[in-house]
Amino acid sequence: MTAASLAEHWELMVSAALLGTDRRDPPEPLAGPFADSFADSFADSFADPFADLAADWPQPTASSRLLQHVAAVASARRAGLMPAAPTSLLDPPEFDQRPATLAPATFSWQRIATQWPVLEDEWLLAVVANGWRAAPELAVPLLSRHRSDATRHARALLAVGPLGPWLIALSPRLASSARLQPSAEAVATLPELAIVPELVPLLSAQPRQVARTVGAAVENGSFTNAHKGVLVNFIARVHPLALPALAHSLDSVHPDSAAIGLAFALADLAHLRLRALTELAPVQSAHSYPESP
Amino acid sequence: MNDTGQQWQVEQVLALAPRPSSVAAAQPLAVPSRWAASGCDDRAVWGRCIGTSAEPYDTVVDHVEVAFRCTCPSRAHPCKHAMALLLLWVRGQVPHGEPSGFITSWLARRVTPSAAPEPIVEPAPDAERPTAVPEPLPAPPIDPTSSRDDRVARMRAGLADLDRWIDDRIRTGLADPSLSRYATWDDLAARLVDAQVGGLANRVRRLAGLVGNGAHWHGQVLAELGQLHLLATAGRHLPDLPPHVADSVAVALGWQVRQADVLAGVPDTDHWVVMGRSDTREDRIEVRRFWLRGAATERWAMLLSFAAYGQSLDDSLVVGGTVHADLFRYPGALGLRALLGPVHERSVATTPPRLGTVRQACDAVGAALAIEPWIERYPLALVAAPTLAAGARGWVLTDATGSLPLVPDAAGLGTLIACSGGAPLALACEWTPAGLVPLTAHLPDRAIDLGPVAEASFVRQAS
Repeated sequence: MTAASLAEHWELMVSAALLGTDRRDPPEPLAGPFADSFADSFADSFADPFADLAADWPQPTASSRLLQHVAAVASARRAGLMPAAPTSLLDPPEFDQRPATLAPATFSWQRIATQWPVLEDEWLLAVVANGWRAAPELAVPLLSRHRSDATRHARALLAVGPLGPWLIALSPRLASSARLQPSAEAVATLPELAIVPELVPLLSAQPRQVARTVGAAVENGSFTNAHKGVLVNFIARVHPLALPALAHSLDSVHPDSAAIGLAFALADLAHLRLRALTELAPVQSAHSYPESP
Repeated sequence: MNDTGQQWQVEQVLALAPRPSSVAAAQPLAVPSRWAASGCDDRAVWGRCIGTSAEPYDTVVDHVEVAFRCTCPSRAHPCKHAMALLLLWVRGQVPHGEPSGFITSWLARRVTPSAAPEPIVEPAPDAERPTAVPEPLPAPPIDPTSSRDDRVARMRAGLADLDRWIDDRIRTGLADPSLSRYATWDDLAARLVDAQVGGLANRVRRLAGLVGNGAHWHGQVLAELGQLHLLATAGRHLPDLPPHVADSVAVALGWQVRQADVLAGVPDTDHWVVMGRSDTREDRIEVRRFWLRGAATERWAMLLSFAAYGQSLDDSLVVGGTVHADLFRYPGALGLRALLGPVHERSVATTPPRLGTVRQACDAVGAALAIEPWIERYPLALVAAPTLAAGARGWVLTDATGSLPLVPDAAGLGTLIACSGGAPLALACEWTPAGLVPLTAHLPDRAIDLGPVAEASFVRQAS
């Protein structure tokens, strides 16, 4: 018995079952050498108890006869799984000589994407500027995530490298849905965030001053949850050298303080940004850590 | 959490639901804030449910003999209060305590002299039984009111009912418009739950999802009806089957096995590589499968965990990692399902065990299906490349020995293709009748989890 003949027989059974045995007689059970071959195959394939059971099943009606036959043939077809002919491989994407971001950076991006998306633009630009390429497992999430934003999609394509156009050719759903092409300058520029004028001088202030000012304001209640959006934007854009001291001052807010929840969240943001930038240090000096201010 | 060693699983509680809506009704009550004076011991769990009525309802469940008592007027058995109390209990949210007088007296009335578990399968004569096979499954812990004989009779009646139903469908034809109505299948599934063959009820509900889905749905539905017929027939002949096959059939039908009985077995100790993970929704429960493979024995094992709405799934294992641990296997011919026993050591990075070719993967699937023809998924580890099938008829995994189709729109397909860059790579997959489901790309320096993930809106992310 061949797989093709079994497939033909299966199609006959499907046709009978589709119309119902009240309207169409089921196909005759496999006969002659074909049946012997099938029986041998079934006996070879299945444990004896099932073959014995099959032999004992009553066959009083056309429907039950077809059903019994369906059970046997369906099982035989599944168990007789055969591979199709080998298929030619895809042409690979162009070689990208940049090293892929390492596992910690991938993990950081996943946290950024789910918890602190305000950091994503900087993450992508750091990847490109520092000689990395986004790890391949990030390519699909990055491209699909920013389909409707032409600038960020273009930024993601830069980070992903030649793998991006290669994937889009295979799956056009990953292409940008935006009609306007972004300028190269817009793609390469970190977008501005809304920061209140009082905090602007702190963006480039001495790390200790930044830490002391923000930490104290959170602890004494000058900053509350109502100011969280403003502070998030500030931490996302403050000079990176200020991040260790800022994170430390936020970590040090007294647990009994009313603002402990806010401090905890902001410290997490500061730690994550510091870690992400450290992981994406320029390739030549990867794994070196910035000095504490 | 009780310490009797008989802790139930969520699925066992949900299997008690007299109808699917009972679970939905119980969920809002399964929070500690709705209960007062709750407690549990090694025999019962009790509490006072504070609801909308003036008087709270006193609820007690005997979790050993499995019986319920509630002062609510509901005629459902068990009522939503008992279901909710059990859900709280299995989550470990009921403290230990001493039962009050009315609970003690109710339990005392229920105590019977013989409480020893009995096998659910009629034992075959010893002379006909191979000596090296496991004993049949012990009695399930779910036994609302009746004896084992009643249970078996109910199961057999349910299986006969299922077979009649399938036979009617074959007689009247799969083109019958009633098959496109979910209620047609749901009614059948509810009857199967009543007959205590919940495993088949789940299959029937999954089968409902195939109707009208794709151009070839008639063939797929017919094949599944054939599998149900096979299981229904085997289920009615359990005493005639060898014990290990009978165990497999019983598990497929939905009989529960006590964890304590599994843990009493012989441990299977190895360095278990976490080859893959997949989440699937089974009616109202999210099911997580971790596929492990022994580094020394190369045997597969599957760890299951469950989460109802708002609960979290087990995330104690890391895909690509290794645990040196004792596994305890459930009874059955294939013996894939296991419980994780003592863990001796955990490590993160590892090299996956020996990987096969596409043809070897087909052989492995065929061998497994020859043992348990009704299985719906089987793990595979192979080296192959994702590529487009000839004529762009979907994606396949290919190597020099052949190619196998991937399920259309597999969750991790895009990432799999990206990780491969068109070249072969080490993979873990699940075989299903619809095609291969990619689970993990085992890259030289890391493992990429590609498996289907539970909806974040359904399960709670573990903290």
